[in-house]
Amino acid sequence: MDRRQYLRTMAAGGLFAGASGCLSRGGGNANVTLAEPDREYESSTLPYLAWGQRVPDVSIPAPLEDRSLSPRSLSVPSFITFFYSTCPDVCPALVGTLRNVQTHAANNGYSDAVAFLPITFDPENDDATRLREYARTLHVDVDAGNWHFLRPATPERAKIVVRDEFGVMFSRQTPTQTPDGNQTAANRTSTHDGHAHGHSHGDGHAGVEFVHSSVTMLVNADGYVERAYRTKTPDSEQLIADLDTLR
Amino acid sequence: MNRRRLLTTVAGVGLTGGSAWVLTRSGPSEDQFPMTVETVDARGSAAGQTRLPVAETVTVVDLFATWCTPCTEQLETMAPLVETYGPDVAFVSVTNERLGGTFQRSDLRAWWRSHEGNWTVGLDPESDVMAAIGASGLPHIAVFDRTGHVTFAHSGVADEETLREQIREALDES
Repeated sequence: MDRRQYLRTMAAGGLFAGASGCLSRGGGNANVTLAEPDREYESSTLPYLAWGQRVPDVSIPAPLEDRSLSPRSLSVPSFITFFYSTCPDVCPALVGTLRNVQTHAANNGYSDAVAFLPITFDPENDDATRLREYARTLHVDVDAGNWHFLRPATPERAKIVVRDEFGVMFSRQTPTQTPDGNQTAANRTSTHDGHAHGHSHGDGHAGVEFVHSSVTMLVNADGYVERAYRTKTPDSEQLIADLDTLR
Repeated sequence: MNRRRLLTTVAGVGLTGGSAWVLTRSGPSEDQFPMTVETVDARGSAAGQTRLPVAETVTVVDLFATWCTPCTEQLETMAPLVETYGPDVAFVSVTNERLGGTFQRSDLRAWWRSHEGNWTVGLDPESDVMAAIGASGLPHIAVFDRTGHVTFAHSGVADEETLREQIREALDES
């Protein structure tokens, strides 16, 4: 299995399992630049926004910038993903991939031609201080002008924006208790199971865990989804190549 | 329940199965090796390139990222093994974090030193090694015997004893 095939396989593993949608290939869509991905279903059958669909025009606070942004209002292509900062493995991989693209942009002089919008679904914990610390850990350059952490104002608002508008599933779980009353320890194996993450951080947010799906979207300057990467391990080279066709 | 929420609920059932499928099918692709990776000037590591696996040498390849807390545990378990097997076994830790922006070579060098790294550290900015090894998470470790076959691959922190045993077996087999 070559590398690309491997990555395709990885991506396929995260697909809408059990979907029996009809084949729809080669259909045109004037709103997008990239061709419809080779797939056995249509965007409308997916829970999350996908190729050819428009992101919502919702205003989401950007706590590091003291303003709000709409994912539709950017005038450059953007990558959007969904995370919570105390998530130990999957989310750093998602956000870290965007960080690697951001660095590629900086190294190759196109920082102004792309934007990054990681949206947290844990606004209770992910305040500006926490997000800044998270950025430092992941080596994100939040001062580059293209990186916008977005934080819905409340957990209820996060449900509306992330789950209802973008169709990205997440659900807060009740912490698991051991017989002696302790919460389960961190998931030290860090296998990217992409679902429930038990962890204990000692930062006042110990034990909070979310079940969530792993989706990264490439959105064009008009707000239409060009690609929805449904994988826990997005291929930064693929993202860079897809972005390259848009800018 | 609106349309998206309904679909989300339905899809939720499929997600776990999908991931299990991924995990059962990911694994090393030996035909992708040997590969060449850039190495970094850091403690125990010289700037240049290394072949993976190192030619005719039992090689331990550790995939890590500096943001990955369990990865630092993996380094701790590797340190005594490097002490024991240093001359006979090649140890290479590889990160797929791209250098640049707020993470420069000097930052990696400092991180490596502060986490007691004392062996070869390499760069995999396009995740080629990660893909070839079939890692679906970090840390991820693989042991190659002298003929280049993967004799052990493990996702998550591999404990010292397990690694010691696997290295010994790889040495014996070769």
